[in-house]
Amino acid sequence: MINRRHFITTVAIGTASAAALAACGTGSSTTAGETGSAEKPVTINYTWWGNDDRATRTRKAIELFESKNPDIKVNGNFTDFAGYWQKRATEAAGGGLPDVMQWDLSYLRDYGQRNQLLDLSTVKINTDAFDKTLLPSGQIRGKTYGIPTSTNAFAVYYDPAKLASLGIAEPDGSWNYEEFNKFLSEVGAKGNGALFGGTDYTGVWWMFNVWLRQNNIEAFTEDGKLGFSKDDLKKWWNLSAKLRGTPALISEERATQLAPKSPFGSNVTATEVTWDNFMAGYLADSGAKELKLVPVPSDDKDNLGLFLKPSMLMVASAKTKYKDAAARFIDFMVNDPEVGQIFKTSRGVPASQTQRDGTTFEGTDKLVVDYEKSIEKYLKDAPEPPIVGFGTLEASFKRVSSDINYGKVTVDGAVDAWFKEAEDLIKQNA
Amino acid sequence: MTTMATPTQSAPDADAQVYNPKSESVTAKRVKSGIFHAVALALTAVVLYPAVWMIASSFKPNAEIGGANTSLWSNNFSFDNFATAMEGIGGVSTLQFFTNSLILAIGAVVGTILSASVSAYAFARIKFPGRSIFFGMMIATLLLPFHVVIIPQYIIFNQLGLVDTYIPLLIGKFLAADAFFVFLMVQFMRNLPAELDEAARIDGAGHVRIFTSIMLPLMKPALISTSIFSFIWSWNDFLGPLLYLNTPEKYPLPLALRLFVDQTQSSDYGAMIAMSVLALLPVLIFFLVFQRYIVEGVSTQGLKG
Repeated sequence: MINRRHFITTVAIGTASAAALAACGTGSSTTAGETGSAEKPVTINYTWWGNDDRATRTRKAIELFESKNPDIKVNGNFTDFAGYWQKRATEAAGGGLPDVMQWDLSYLRDYGQRNQLLDLSTVKINTDAFDKTLLPSGQIRGKTYGIPTSTNAFAVYYDPAKLASLGIAEPDGSWNYEEFNKFLSEVGAKGNGALFGGTDYTGVWWMFNVWLRQNNIEAFTEDGKLGFSKDDLKKWWNLSAKLRGTPALISEERATQLAPKSPFGSNVTATEVTWDNFMAGYLADSGAKELKLVPVPSDDKDNLGLFLKPSMLMVASAKTKYKDAAARFIDFMVNDPEVGQIFKTSRGVPASQTQRDGTTFEGTDKLVVDYEKSIEKYLKDAPEPPIVGFGTLEASFKRVSSDINYGKVTVDGAVDAWFKEAEDLIKQNA
Repeated sequence: MTTMATPTQSAPDADAQVYNPKSESVTAKRVKSGIFHAVALALTAVVLYPAVWMIASSFKPNAEIGGANTSLWSNNFSFDNFATAMEGIGGVSTLQFFTNSLILAIGAVVGTILSASVSAYAFARIKFPGRSIFFGMMIATLLLPFHVVIIPQYIIFNQLGLVDTYIPLLIGKFLAADAFFVFLMVQFMRNLPAELDEAARIDGAGHVRIFTSIMLPLMKPALISTSIFSFIWSWNDFLGPLLYLNTPEKYPLPLALRLFVDQTQSSDYGAMIAMSVLALLPVLIFFLVFQRYIVEGVSTQGLKG
């Protein structure tokens, strides 16, 4: 008897305290959020991913912000990229996301749709200096969840010294796919097994996306379905069919042996098709003196299918108590010219014109900025934030296409396999 | 102790045909042992190769690590990577990361030893109502995947305002939440003869006295292996600190290690590997110092005739 009564009391106390705890969680919030003063500053948490270099630069920017805004203190934290998303997922589930966060485009829709992110159009952030083609990539269904800090664009990298040693003329970037293939074959033939033309460019999702745009096809429809047909993908994967198994393309076995370094960074290929902000990484990995960028091939000389993509964005937590402070910090990080001067192109090319103008670019930084300027007239609207589960789609695109290179599947089989995976995934996340 | 009786005298002729492995010639034994050692050495080389690769790479310049560079040794031998590694990350010194890791590891060892041994004593030696149910529940927590409890745990610690302190990482150790160690010690204690406690009880000892004077000294091997495992696990833990710590000044080594390799910028493999070598040393030393106690402890256990 005593035991049972004791048990009931315990349960009752437990339930009551749980309810009390739950009540604590839903605090009252005003529209502007709590504000601070110089004597009693508010503290916001800001978190980013990146290495030592970025940590040093970001801390410098935070110091500058604090000196200009004595009523706000910024508590900066950082982790590596992979751990960053594990941590955010747990925090989002536990209701403890930091006030302001550095963000990646592929996670924007996921967190935005689950109402974890603050609609930044409800706070004061100046976006006048932004390229109008860029802003939609931070918006989902009319709400602005992210402000781009910086941009990157697709490009073909090459190593001029390696081409010169083979006696091959440097490309000028006005080429169609046939010419590009011929160029890769020439490098492979003269490279004599030591140097290959490049990695199979048809395995890169974003290059496929660029090609689709060259053919005026959108990769995803507005309701989040695939916007292209099996025939389109077949055509794409057949573009490099004649090169597979020749020295024009590095074999999949060899590329896997080189991982985690890229074949281009390992000085085994002469070209690479990827984002222009990988420059610093390639230079460090390969030890090359100079690398150059040219536009991607296109069969339509007037439509290169290129676009600027936010290399990273700034977002705020929907639950932040300091909306006003968060907005001021984001505004500062994306617009302030001095911040541009601190980061240079280490986040990508600054997205805001005021920040770009306030920054002096030299050396590699200048190469990347000049490249983006040179393709300005071809730029189209940035794509909307990728669909939920895009990371998985992108990875399976790479995997299936490397199966083609391994000779495990035919192009037709690969197309069927990828479409099945993609459609299942889209159905799951719908 | 009995001595192994191996008949070495030559057997009578009539029995010579019968195969007897114990009477093989000395040369055959030597050949066998030679082959055994060669195979064992080859296997050791395979197993140790990653460690050798790591140590060799820590002296190479970053551009020569991985990728197309297959040679183990570089002519550009230098300590630069170690210098970079010791500089720390984002204004936090590497020494700080080491100290944090040590605090966490030592906390984990002390907490686990104290709590798990007491709980194990209760399970193994005290008869209390519901003992088998509680024991079953404890074993059940072993079967519960860690990932199931991550989010509920995070919510609790977040509501209590304990995120960004070491408490979420250590409190479980002090409350015997590591069921594996409790189980290990219970099994060990069950093998200790009950006559020992009974004798102590007759002499008037209570539970506290029996536990501290009889059980703890006898459990040394179990305590040592618990310490080794809990030290290594805490030293290598990545996910726990990642989730619960926010301030870089509080990060332990595993979090710091990852910061050298950034997929979106340039990766400093050299510094990461150099730091891995440094991070490996304390674990290695800890193991080398304590492992002999395991063997020692096992051989001294038991009743004397």
